[in-house]
Formats: sequence, C-alpha cells, structure tokens
Amino acid sequence: MDAYDEGSNARHGPDAPSRPTPPTRQDVPVDRPGEPRTGIAALSLRYQVGVALALAVVAIGVCVHLGMTFLHVAPANTVTRAHGDAVDDWIYPEFEQNWKLFAPNPLQQNISIQVRAGVRGPDGMTSVTGWYDLSAEDGRAIDGNLLPSHTQQNELRRAWDFYVATHDGENRPVGLRGALSESYLRRIMVLRLHDDDAVRAATGGAGVIERVQVRSRTSNVPPPEWSREKVSMTPSYRELPWWRVPQDEAEGGMR
Amino acid sequence: MNRLSLAVSGAIARVTEAALGPYQTAVVRIGFSATWLLFLLRELPHRHELYGPDGPWSFDLAQQLVGSNGSFTVLMWSDGRVWFEIVYALAVLSSALLMLGWRTRTMSVLFMVGVLSLQNRSVFMGDGGDNVLHLMSIYLVFTRCAQVWSLDAGRAARERAVRARGERVTDRTGPVLWGVLGLVLVAVTLAGRMQGDGLIPALLWTVWVVLGVWWLVGRRARTREPRIMLDVVANIVHNGALLVIMAEACLIYATAGWYKIQGSRWQDGTAVYYPLHLECFSPWPGLADLLSASGTMVMLVTYGTVLVQVAFPFTLFNRRVKNVLLAVMMTEHAVIAVVLGLPFFSLAMIAADAVFLPTGFLRRLGDRAARARDRLPRRGGRAPVPGQRAHESPETTP
Repeated sequence: MDAYDEGSNARHGPDAPSRPTPPTRQDVPVDRPGEPRTGIAALSLRYQVGVALALAVVAIGVCVHLGMTFLHVAPANTVTRAHGDAVDDWIYPEFEQNWKLFAPNPLQQNISIQVRAGVRGPDGMTSVTGWYDLSAEDGRAIDGNLLPSHTQQNELRRAWDFYVATHDGENRPVGLRGALSESYLRRIMVLRLHDDDAVRAATGGAGVIERVQVRSRTSNVPPPEWSREKVSMTPSYRELPWWRVPQDEAEGGMR
Repeated sequence: MNRLSLAVSGAIARVTEAALGPYQTAVVRIGFSATWLLFLLRELPHRHELYGPDGPWSFDLAQQLVGSNGSFTVLMWSDGRVWFEIVYALAVLSSALLMLGWRTRTMSVLFMVGVLSLQNRSVFMGDGGDNVLHLMSIYLVFTRCAQVWSLDAGRAARERAVRARGERVTDRTGPVLWGVLGLVLVAVTLAGRMQGDGLIPALLWTVWVVLGVWWLVGRRARTREPRIMLDVVANIVHNGALLVIMAEACLIYATAGWYKIQGSRWQDGTAVYYPLHLECFSPWPGLADLLSASGTMVMLVTYGTVLVQVAFPFTLFNRRVKNVLLAVMMTEHAVIAVVLGLPFFSLAMIAADAVFLPTGFLRRLGDRAARARDRLPRRGGRAPVPGQRAHESPETTP
C-alpha cells in the first residue's frame, strides 16, 4: 500500500523520487507532446474550485462514514445514547455489521435442533414420528467437508437464533419478526422432513405432515482433558408447542 | 506554519494526482469477486433453498422483512422462478467479469447489485464472510480497481497505441452497455420498484449519469480541462474509498479483538478450544483434537489471536511489523478455512487483508502469474498483449 510505502520514504521529504511509483498518467506517452501534464496544476481556477469542492465532499463523507461505523460497532456509550438514532439512520440497512466473532466468549454449548412430526397416512390414520436431530445431520454433512454449504452450517443455527431472539421464555412472539421467525423455522422443518429418507420410510412415502414440534437440546462442550474444570453433561431441552402445517406447505409446496 | 501548509499541499497533490494503491485495489477486486463467484458456484445446487422464491425463507416472509427494513434487493421485484434464475446467473457473470476486469466500473455496480440482492433476500443465511462481502461490494464501486491486472488495462494500452498512431478509437460496447442499463434503470424506476431505502438507487443513478458524462466529456469537450477535472475527481473518490476499505478492515480486527479481551475464556486461555468442538464448526474432529491436545498450545494461540487482532491497526505505522502481522493473520485465516470449515469467510477476510500487502510483493506476484500464464500452451492463437508491462498501464475509463 502506498500509504505505507511512504513510511520508509517519508523522511526523504516529499520530493524524494525513490518510491517505486505506481503507474500514473505521467508514465504514459501523452497524446500530443508539449501539453501540460495532468493534475490540478493544469486546471484553471474555475475547475480548481470544482476539484476543491469534490475534495471537501469526499473528505467529509469519508470522515462521517467512518465515525458512524465506529459508533455502530463500539459498545453503547455516551455518544450513542444521545445520537443513536442518527447512527442507525446512517448505518441501516446496508452498512450493518457485527464483528464480535467468537467474542466476548465463544459458544461453549452444542445446540441441537430436533423435530418430530404428526403425520396422516394414506389410510387416514395419524401418527407421531420420533425425534429427528437435524443439527446432527448437518454436523455429519460437514464432517470431512472442505466446502460446507450455508444450508448445512448457517440455516438451522441462525433460524434458531432468530427464533430465540424474537420470543420470550414462554415462546410468545415479540413483534413482526417473532411471527416471521416462527414461519421460517416451521418451513425449514417441513422441508427437512420431506428430504429425510427416514421420515419417508416411516410414512410410507404417502403421508402428509399435519403438524410439527421443535425442541432444542443444549449440551455443554466437554471441557478439555488438560483442564480441571467440571461442567454438567446433562443436556437441557426447550420444547416449543406443536405447530399446524398449512396444507400447501405440507404437500411439498416448497422447492 | 510553512511546514504545515507544505504538508497539506503535498497531501492534496498525492490524493488528486493518482489513484493510489493500484495493485492493492486490484487484488481486493480480484479477491472479493473470486470469493463471491466460488461461493455462488458452490451453492449452485442449494440456490433455491438459500435464495429462491419457494425456499424456507419464502418470498412472502422476505417481503415482510424487506418492507420493514428497506434494504435493496432486486429479487423482490418478482416472485417468479425465471427471474430468480436470471438474477443468480447475472450475479455469477458479473463477478466473473469483475474478476477479469472487463468494463470494471459497470461490473462493480452489477456485482454490488448481485451481492446485495441475494444477501438481503435471505439475511438469515449469511455469516461474517457475507457481511464483509456486503460492505466491500459497495466500497469497490467507488474505486478505480482495474488500473492493473485487468482486461480494461490491456484495452486502454491498446487504445493508447492506436491513438499514438494518430487513428481514432471507437468503442461500441461501452455505449451499448450504458444504454441497456439506462433503459433498465428508467423502466424499474418508472415501475416504482425502487422502494425502500434510497441509498442504493441513488448510487445506481449517480454512477450511470457519471459514466454518461465521462463519455461525453471524453468525446465532445473542446478543452482538456473538463477531462482532467473528471480524472482528478475520480482519483479523489478512489482514494477516499481506499481509505474506507482500509479503515473497515482495521475496525473488523479492532472490534473482534477488543470484545474478546472482555471474555473470560479468552482471559483464561481456553477460548480456541471451544469452536473446534462445536458440531457446526468441526469438519475434522481428529484434527481439532490434535490441535487442542496441549493446553499450553491452546493458550498461546488464544492469546496470540487477541494480541494480533488488537495490535494490527497500530502496526500500520510501522511497515515491517505490519507485514509480519499481515502474514500471521493470513495464515490464521487459511487455517480457519479448513479447521473450522469456513472457506468463504476466510477467503473474504484474506481478500480484505490483501489491501495492506506491500506493492513490491504484489508486483512480484503479478510477474510470476504473468510468466506462468505465458508458459501455458496457447489455444486459439491469441497473441500475448504487446509490451512486457502493458498490463500495468492505468485505465483511462472512470
């Protein structure tokens, strides 16, 4: 980066020619010789004012954008408490960002999303399937995989995070996003159940999924062998209520 | 006082006379477009599940969310399957052409439209890598990132050679591309599809108008001054965007580092152990066990990670230390790509890091790549671009 290349050259003064110059228009044979070279020096005052204006606009734009981005990623503070709305107005929707990668603490629990379905068979009889561990399926799909897909790594995990973030402890949705997250999770479940050979075998391939129930199984990652820490290895469950599956979804309206 | 004014005028001269970091911006362009291209190709079999109208995040759900946050996505213009396939194909095509540097400014805009459209359509599919790409796709639009290592640079060199012989250069592709995209813009705006937040539509219109003005000034202006002014303004905008890209990379590391310092697991030196043992981040359980077999090693890596992330922005003041840390971080990301199964996140981060690579290194890399290319048996009998350094001439397009 030139900005750094300057580091070793700056002490020679601004005119030092030693820097390996990036290709600029000066290196290029000019169309007609004898003409003044490019740059603001070649411009009359009118155009120089234009350049100065552009310079000011860009400088201000860059400073404001970086300042807003900084305030967006910084913890809540005096300035964001007073001007949080202005920061949000600038950042959302396209400059949203979150860089708390594995921070402040990495996740220390495996959260498995499991699902079972109420199925009506071709004979009209209804039955309930066993629990399917979809996260474990994803985990197996990722094993030995150099290029895991977002569908295996992010889809279920983030859908569950979305659900948890938009529901209270009693599984009541909070706002529009709560309702969206419920539909989303349900649709993932139906899609995955349709894809699952085991489910198809259980329903004879002709069953219709009438309702689904989701639960999460949270278990601590066992502490490293070399640590003397002890954590409970008993998993905890969060069971959501049964959800009715709309008919068009159940008939494989997806994909 | 005199020294201050000298410094200021020196700085102004630097940011106006050239688009700085031609190699760095080119490598960032190639890095991000390649990342997105490879990602799109990888997800080809899953594209409907991820972004399609009938995927689990259905058109209806997406419409409700986009309606509430106003983000930009052309996929909300229609719930048709054909439209989806067209957008996906255009996203693939534009990233490939941006990588090659063909009509780079236009392709960077289409690349941004592709990235934003797919990502904003299904926000809950992405991770940190998508987030970096999202931001950088917008910033890249403002840069002159095809000054080297691009088809545009080669074309500019050929055009200069033609002009030097006193002949006229006529470009038909540019005006046609501009005209078609203008028609699309007008149609979409008149149809009222540009809803939501006004930022991206305004950006699309601005670039389109500027490209038109650029072409007009290049052909019709009676003096050279308007052309020089446009060139200078393009340099200023480029340099501003380059600064933003570099600052963004610093913000990423600073945020990641400073928040880690507050975590108990990063303090007690066991943090790195945990992601290695999460189901969704452990494609190679045996390797993960091997890497975390020694508590001391895990602690060294844990502390080292925090140290490097927190320190990086400050090392920019010292070229040598910066380069060492850059090498460390790129290596760590390459390891993360395999060990945590995050190849596209890692590629995106490496592409962002690349903006800090030293010019000398990049030139050597470019020369080596050029030599490797020349050694390849040529099919189709296309002659190599004349002139050893022809590919390094600056572009004359915006």
